[in-house]
Amino acid sequence: MSAYTPEVTGTGARARVQRFGAFLAGMVMPNLGAFIAFGLITTLFIPDGWVNKIAGTQTEVSTQISSVVGPLIVILIPILIAYTGGQRVHGTRGAVVGAVALVGAMLAPVALQLTPISLNGEAVAPPANISEIGPTILAAFVLGPLTAWLLKMWDNFIAGKVKGGFEMLVDNFSAGIIGGLLAVFGLYVIGPITFWISQGLGWLANALINVGLLPLVSIVVEPAKVLFLNNAINHGVFTPLGIEQAAGAGKSIFFMIESNPGPGLGILIAMLLFGPRAVRPTVPAAMVVHFLGGIHEIYFPYVLLKPILVIAAILGGATGVLWEVIFNLGLVAPASPGSIFAWILVSPPDNLLLNMVGIVLAAAVAAVVGSALLGFGRKESAVDAAIDLEAAKSQSAENKKASKAPATA
Amino acid sequence: MATIDGSSIKKLIVACDAGMGSSVMLASTLKKQLAKNGVTVEHSAVAQIPSDADVVVTQAGLVDRARGVVPGVPVIPFMLFLGDPAVAKLVKAIQDGTTVEY
Repeated sequence: MSAYTPEVTGTGARARVQRFGAFLAGMVMPNLGAFIAFGLITTLFIPDGWVNKIAGTQTEVSTQISSVVGPLIVILIPILIAYTGGQRVHGTRGAVVGAVALVGAMLAPVALQLTPISLNGEAVAPPANISEIGPTILAAFVLGPLTAWLLKMWDNFIAGKVKGGFEMLVDNFSAGIIGGLLAVFGLYVIGPITFWISQGLGWLANALINVGLLPLVSIVVEPAKVLFLNNAINHGVFTPLGIEQAAGAGKSIFFMIESNPGPGLGILIAMLLFGPRAVRPTVPAAMVVHFLGGIHEIYFPYVLLKPILVIAAILGGATGVLWEVIFNLGLVAPASPGSIFAWILVSPPDNLLLNMVGIVLAAAVAAVVGSALLGFGRKESAVDAAIDLEAAKSQSAENKKASKAPATA
Repeated sequence: MATIDGSSIKKLIVACDAGMGSSVMLASTLKKQLAKNGVTVEHSAVAQIPSDADVVVTQAGLVDRARGVVPGVPVIPFMLFLGDPAVAKLVKAIQDGTTVEY
């Protein structure tokens, strides 16, 4: 086993958190195409989108097309998430009942006339009809898997007990009854509970932004990312928060916190210039995959190789968030994967330039801090020497096999 | 330290957290390298590794979960997604039909 692949010392706790996060992210990620469709239609066709901006007037076509935006985000996306959550637990049958149950929770604010929390002193009223509800992603996270699990329990219980010829009748009505019951349960119980949790989280996030403390989340986010909790954090936490915010404000800063490709690029720049010599040649390709392709996983190992670099990632990330808070920036939809191209495509026209500056600043800070932490290449430690040696050894082994001649590497 | 015989590998799974990003990238690289060796290379989310895999390749940070999902299958950890010696060794073992430690 080479120095690249140290013994895994991670405890069960980390694997458990990863697994729970992956469960949440697993409900969101298969549906990213829907998020992106929503994001593209929004940036192009909302009143201050690209089409009107370029036309210089409020065009009729943009008014017509932008009517799709609301239903996509408040109806379709939560239903897709509940559907996917159900599917994970109990296949297509589970998916269907999960989606049915969610519709109950989705309409709880209308049916029960729940009044949202006023964030900055503005007047608030309960939604008058379905067009005024928010996206109920939290409820989808709960009801999709829960309803599917109940149906699965029933299906397991009844398996083999149904008289021949009655299977379809039993299957369809058991799904219909469980889905219907859970829709009612969703309306009266899960809907209100998740509504108030979302409202509370929204209030907390808003307060953090107002007092300027949001950059502090980088202290948690950046280390968690390199432990492969990136999807869990982004799609388990920030995407739901961002969708709630974007449904009201048209954009959200929460889509930017994890997906900013700047800090990772900065880390890779520092590694390219001053990292252990053996790994430097792998860095340019990693930069392309990370920054253009948006696969952040590719830079995590470099941080794990030099854990001190997490400080550079935190400072780079916090710089980006601070910049975004100062100028009230946002993205209209999740930028996933976190590529520079995804950011360009889901940036509101008015924010595009400043959003790009945010990435550059984050990269610059992470690169400079990272380089400093690597001692500008002057203090190659014993560990680095070991890495070089190991790489040289495997290289020489390759050479030996290939040429049967003593290696000189 | 257990070993695995390269010539016995018919199905190689590259696993990552979501099964959508890094695993797809590495799987497409390995697919090209192993095209002539009759090895099926697939990518998967770490929670959904198929149990008929002969060997699983995954990032060191996900190894615990991979081993939990398919306890009987050799899981080879690597550190870097590009140019990692552990992956190179495995590819070489499959190509040459030699054994590799894991």
